[in-house]
Parts: sequence; structure tokens; C-alpha cells
Amino acid sequence: MSSFSVGFRTLGSVQALDLRGELDAHTAAELEAAIEKCQQDDSLQILVNGANLMYISSAGLGVFMAHIEEIREKGGDIKIAALQPKVYNVFDLLGFPMLFDITESEEEAVTKFGSPAPSA
Amino acid sequence: MNLPSFRRSADKQRLPKEKRAQSGTRTVLMGLLFSGATAMALVYHLLAWRGQVPSASMNLGYDLLLLVGYAALWALLAESFRKKRPSPARSFWTITLAAGVVILITHVVLLIASPPASVDASLALGFDLETGAPLVLATVFKTNILGLLYGVLAVFLMLRLKDLVLVKRTRSSQRNWYLLVGSMVVTSLSVLGMRAGSVLNQAQTILMIVSVVFMVVCSFRLSWIVFLSFREKVAAIGLSMVMMLVLVLGISIMRDSVISRWAELPGIYTYVQSFSYPLSMFSSLAAVFGILYSTTGVLSLLFHLPTSGEFQARAGERAAMQSLTNIVGQVFDAERLHAAIASSPVEAGVAHFAWLAIADPESGSLKPKVVAGSKIDPEEVLDLVDLDALFAEATSSRNPIFLEEAMRDHRVRAKASRAISSMVVAPLVGRNRVIGALFACKELVRGFERDEIDTISILAAQSSLAIENAGLVEQQVERERLARELAIAREVQQRLLPQRVPEVRGLSLAASSVPAQEVGGDYYDFVDLGDERLGLIIADVSGKGTSAAFYMAEMQGIFHAVSRLAPSPADFLHHANVAISESLDKNVFVSVIYGVLDVRKQEFVLARAGHCPAAAVGIDGKARYLRSKGIGLGLAPPPLFRRSLAEATIHLQPGDVFVLYTDGIVESRSPGGEEYGYDRLLDVLGDIRHEGAEGIHDHLIEDLNAFVGDSGDYGDDMTLVVLKWHGPHSDVPLESHGVAHEPALA
Repeated sequence: MSSFSVGFRTLGSVQALDLRGELDAHTAAELEAAIEKCQQDDSLQILVNGANLMYISSAGLGVFMAHIEEIREKGGDIKIAALQPKVYNVFDLLGFPMLFDITESEEEAVTKFGSPAPSA
Repeated sequence: MNLPSFRRSADKQRLPKEKRAQSGTRTVLMGLLFSGATAMALVYHLLAWRGQVPSASMNLGYDLLLLVGYAALWALLAESFRKKRPSPARSFWTITLAAGVVILITHVVLLIASPPASVDASLALGFDLETGAPLVLATVFKTNILGLLYGVLAVFLMLRLKDLVLVKRTRSSQRNWYLLVGSMVVTSLSVLGMRAGSVLNQAQTILMIVSVVFMVVCSFRLSWIVFLSFREKVAAIGLSMVMMLVLVLGISIMRDSVISRWAELPGIYTYVQSFSYPLSMFSSLAAVFGILYSTTGVLSLLFHLPTSGEFQARAGERAAMQSLTNIVGQVFDAERLHAAIASSPVEAGVAHFAWLAIADPESGSLKPKVVAGSKIDPEEVLDLVDLDALFAEATSSRNPIFLEEAMRDHRVRAKASRAISSMVVAPLVGRNRVIGALFACKELVRGFERDEIDTISILAAQSSLAIENAGLVEQQVERERLARELAIAREVQQRLLPQRVPEVRGLSLAASSVPAQEVGGDYYDFVDLGDERLGLIIADVSGKGTSAAFYMAEMQGIFHAVSRLAPSPADFLHHANVAISESLDKNVFVSVIYGVLDVRKQEFVLARAGHCPAAAVGIDGKARYLRSKGIGLGLAPPPLFRRSLAEATIHLQPGDVFVLYTDGIVESRSPGGEEYGYDRLLDVLGDIRHEGAEGIHDHLIEDLNAFVGDSGDYGDDMTLVVLKWHGPHSDVPLESHGVAHEPALA
């Protein structure tokens, strides 16, 4: 069984989620729960840090899709930062860079929260 | 010590033929021995009548041979009795009948040649008292008939009583029985060669007393009594009393029926004695044992009569337990099971009425529901008791609650129609939860004895086992049903994939697809678009298993509906995106490559909607990925999707190879956890590019299998489609075309 964990960090008004391990169909529920918790707490500026995310499956990608619409409707956003090249490739192949702000560094993403979200 | 005879008899039934034949020979042999001895006795007495006075040694020999004959009879009867063991009452009845018949025949025999009264003893008896020689021919026959009758009766009686004495045998009871028979035989042997009418000496008397002592000991072996019902006991009392009387009568007529002035001489008994003193000793001892045994039997039966109700109740409990145990193994239908459980205390005779309440697992609450009642309507229960409160107490304590005077309990409501005067509530404790509770009620105050409460507890324990068991079986059945359904789904899904690759001029094709589970979300297909144009698709629904399989089926429908209408790959994907976005879950998407190969134009146009890029390698060995822009279906609103989608157009050169695949291929892992990866795919492809499509396909799968090894992980659904362009004028050997849905993946 693959291992996966989500760490919570607050960066000002931005809620950072540190993903660690492998995000697949089994572990997707954990990220799902983390994002739902953010929504409940009304912290809708979510920054997903993928520095320690070693693998993502299509089911893992689905988690981002499941909530983005609602979060954006409420004026928030999910931005993804610091992905490993291999993981970024998976996002990239599916065209996620056209749907999400995916940045190289966390700081870059935090700065982008200051500017309006891309119109999707 | 010998083996218990019942075990031997049980074995006998499974004897092979030769053994059975052997026992048949033995039977014949024993029969011959006995009839020989009987005939010998007749001859012996005839000779005596003719005046040949037998010597003492002859007399001894005669007695011994006769005893051997009767021992053979014993063996013969014992063998035939082993096959079928009669009930105690039947044993008494047959003994009584046999004794009665013997007495009757004795009478008749005596009447036939009745000696005149008031003559001297020898004449009256018909033989010489000094020598024992018969005086008249009739005496010879009388002696033989009576001797035979009493001898047979003695053997019959002993064997019948043996069955009773040895019911529930113990080592000591068996030993006592053998001691009894042994002492009887020894006593009989001690009078070997004695003449009729001789008086016993002291040693013989002592031996006789010893036999009687063992008789008394064996007479207290009455275990069979406890198994009898009240009626059977009454019947057994009657029968054993009759038997006792008949045997007493038998002995007394043996002694008294000859009315003469030699009254101190035993009467007909002397005939038997003159037949053979040892045999007469044995038969009189047997009769005494019969009388003793029937006497203790009658007394014991009388004492047991009042408690037989108790024993019967025990039997009822046992039967109820038994039936419940059967139910545990057989009944998996909840309704029948509940009914059987509710009725078990009533059937066991430990309650007047009872019902079963189950915590409703559907609602997840512990609120009890009366699911079955015995001698009570489940709907009536709620009027009679505060079910929730009683149930809560029983389930929280996990021990039976006992209400001695239920009417005084606030949880029990008085009703004119029915009175719960005492009640036991036994919780049904399962492996990790309390399943329900069994309520047993009596219409008597303090109606439950300790042992009855124990019985109800045991019934409850059995019931919880049965209910859990039934649940497990249900789960198992459900699992099997699901497995069957999935097997069918797999078959159906395999039929959605092309059964063979199409034949296209200048092109060879090979393809395969293997789901990670029974069904998967991968799809590939081909379509003839006319004008020598081939449309082809490879798609991967995110996630795997059943949900992915449904979307895969939808993709198949969209492909066949839209492909012929869409002028270009990008158009096709746009329409497909619009069509499938409607039904996709928010977190589900589909990655697709759709391509159109035009043989006449020698052109391959493809568009990629988020799918793993197609690998392309030319004849020169230059390998690359065709990574045109595009978002997966269902991820973006149609305008953005369409805007971001780009097509790639390749002018075909003979030798061009295109490999389309799903991420299951590149994400398969080696035992070390390393992914197969894009680079390796491209490298391998470069090496094997000169082969036909099928060769390339098979080599790729081989390489993948070698990479994953025995302990690696394929992980996801895997699909591989290989196209090789040979040029429009080349003759492509058709047999190189192949399609397989299940390549040899380890």
C-alpha cells in the first residue's frame, strides 16, 4: 500500500497543503478530506506544495478537478507549486497547466494569489 | 477383558464378503454342535432306558458335551441378538412370553404321561432315583423335552438381560456381568456328573451364593430406565412384574406340580436335573437372576416414575438444542431462522411463550425490533412490555435478566389477555456486538428454575452463532454473485474492443488491452472512414474498475457515432468532449488520442486530448513523442478545450512506426519500484523498428514483462496499439496482422 500524507501550513491568508508520498486511487480520499476541510474553514486560497509528492495517478488528479469549480465560484483558487518533474509531466500531459496555476516555487504561487485567478 | 460387544457388532456390518461367509460357517457349526448335543442327550437317555447303566465317567462326559452344546447355543443366540437390540419393554415381553410358553409346554408334557398318584416316588417320576435310569419310554422324552426347554429358556433369558445390564456399560459393570456369568458357569460345572435329586454339598452351596451375590450386583444395572418416557416406564413396570410372576410360577411348578408324598423331592425339576444336573443348575440360577432383575427393575421404575417428567423435560431441552444446532448449519433464510430461534425455548419446554428482538442493523441503531414470536404475536409484544428498556439492559449487561415477579416490574404492563408473570431476557452476543435478545416468558410467578435460565442462555448463544453464520453465508453468496457479475462485465467489455484489426493497404496493425481488474477504463478501436481512411482511437478513463468501465463503454458509443461525422481529429475530440462531459463525474476525465490515417494522401493526422503522447519512430531510427497540445475530456469547458487543442500532421514514410499506449505501460514498475518510463519505451522502439507491427507489439510486451519481473507491479489498465506504415505499394503480409486482448503478461 502506497503511503501518502497531507500537511497543513498557513502562509498568511493562504492555506498550504504539503503533499508527501504517492497520490493514487487509495490515497486520494485523504487529499479530498484535506481540501474539504479547507472549504469548511473557509480558507479558499489553497496552495498545494508537491515538493515531496513522488507519484500521482489519474484518480489523484481527479481530486483537484472535483473541487476547483466550487472554490473558484466562491472566489478562491487552488494553485500548485514545486512539483517534481515527473509529476509535473503527468499534470502537463493532461493539460492541467491550462486549468491551474502551476508554479515552480511556493513563493511564486503565493504572489499569484495576490493577483486575480486565471479565467478558466 | 473382552471388547464391548456393541463395538464388535458395529464393525461386523462393514465386514467384507469373505468375513461374512466365515461368520456364516460359524453359525452353521454352532448350530450343528447344539443339535448334535441335543441328539446325543436323547440317545444317552434312550440307552439308559434300555438298561445300560452309564458309568460315572460316561455321565461326566455326557454332562460336559451337553454343556458344550449349550455354550454353542449361547454363541449362536448372542450373534443373532447383536444385530438388533430390542427396547427394554420388548426384552421383558419376550422373556415373559418365552417363559410362559415353556410353562405351558411343561404342563402339557406332564399331562400327557401323568403318573398315577400315590405310588412310590420312582414310579411317580418315571425313573429310578438311585441310578437315574428312566423306567418308561415317556420319561426319556419328557426329560429331553423339558431339559431342552429350560436350557434354551435360560440362555435366552441371560442374553436378553445382558443387553439391559450392559446399557451405558462401564468397565466395572462389564466386569460384574462376566463375573456373574462366570460364577454361574462355575457353579453349574461344580455339579457335573451329579445325579438327579442329589443334595448340594457345602462348597456348591457357597458357589451358588456367590452367583446370587453377583446377580444382585448386576440387578442394579438399570441405566435404561432413565431413557424411558413415563408411558414406557409404566409399560415396563407391568411387563417386568408379569415376567417376575411367570418366572416365580415357573420355578414353583417345577418344584410343586408333582403331587406326591415325596413332596420334599423337587417336582419336575428332577426331570431337568436328570437331563443334566449342571444345565438345571444353570437354568435355575438364570431364573433366579431373572426374578431378581425384574424385582429391582420394578422397584427402580416405581421410584423413577415421579421424576420421569423431569427427564422428559431434559430430553425436550436436548431436542430443542439439537434442532437449533441443525438450524445453525442449514438455515440461512433470516425469517425462518428468527422463527426457529423464537420457538426454541417453547419447544424446549422452558417457556410458555417467547419472542426474538433484533437490534436493527439497517438503521445502525440499537433500537430493537421484534422479528419473531412463538405462541405470541410479535405485534402484541409492544403492548406487554417496555421492549426498549429491557433490551437496553440485557444488551448492556451482556447477561440474562431474570424477572421473578414480572408484574411488579415497571417495564412489564399488565394485560387481561396475557400475563407475563416471570421472564428471562437473554442477550444474543455476537463476535463484536450484541445482535439481539431472546425473551422467554412464563405465566407463573417464579416460574424459572436455574437450569431453565441456563438453557435459555445456551439457546441464545446458539442463536447468535446461527445469525452470524447466516450473515457470513449471505456475504459469501453476495461475493460470489459479484464475482459472476464482474466476469460477465469483463466479457461484455472485451466485446466492446475490436475482435480483429482492420486490413488497410500499406499498413500493419497490432493491438492489445488488459484491464488491471476484471474491467477497466482503457479503450481502443478502429473505424473505416471510407476513401481508404482509417480512424483510430485510444482512450483512458481516469481511475479504474467498474466506474471507469462504464465511461469506457460510453466512449465506445461516442467513437462510433461521432467519428464518421467529424471532419478532423480535433473536431472529433471537441464533439466527444461535449458529449461525455455531460455524464462524467467532476473528478473523472478521459484522455484520448484520435487519429486519421489517409492511405491515399500518405498522411497521419492526430490530436491528443491529455493522453500519453504517441511514440513515433522512422526508418532512420529517430524516435520521438508526438506531444501536441490538448486537455483531457471532461476537464475544461468546451471553448477552452477546443481552443487549446492542436493537431499533429505526419507525412508518412515507409517504415514509420507509431505506438499508442495508456499510462499503465509507462507506469508499470520493476521490483525495485522504478517506472518503465517514456525513455525506455522510445529506446526499445528504436531497436525493434524494422519488425512488422505484430513483432514490435510482441517485443514491447516481452520487454515490459521482463522489466516488471515476478514481483513488480503492472498497476493500471494497459493498452498497446502499434501501427507500421509500409507504403501504399508494399505487400503487407496479412498474417502479420494480429490482435490480442490478453497478451502474455506475467
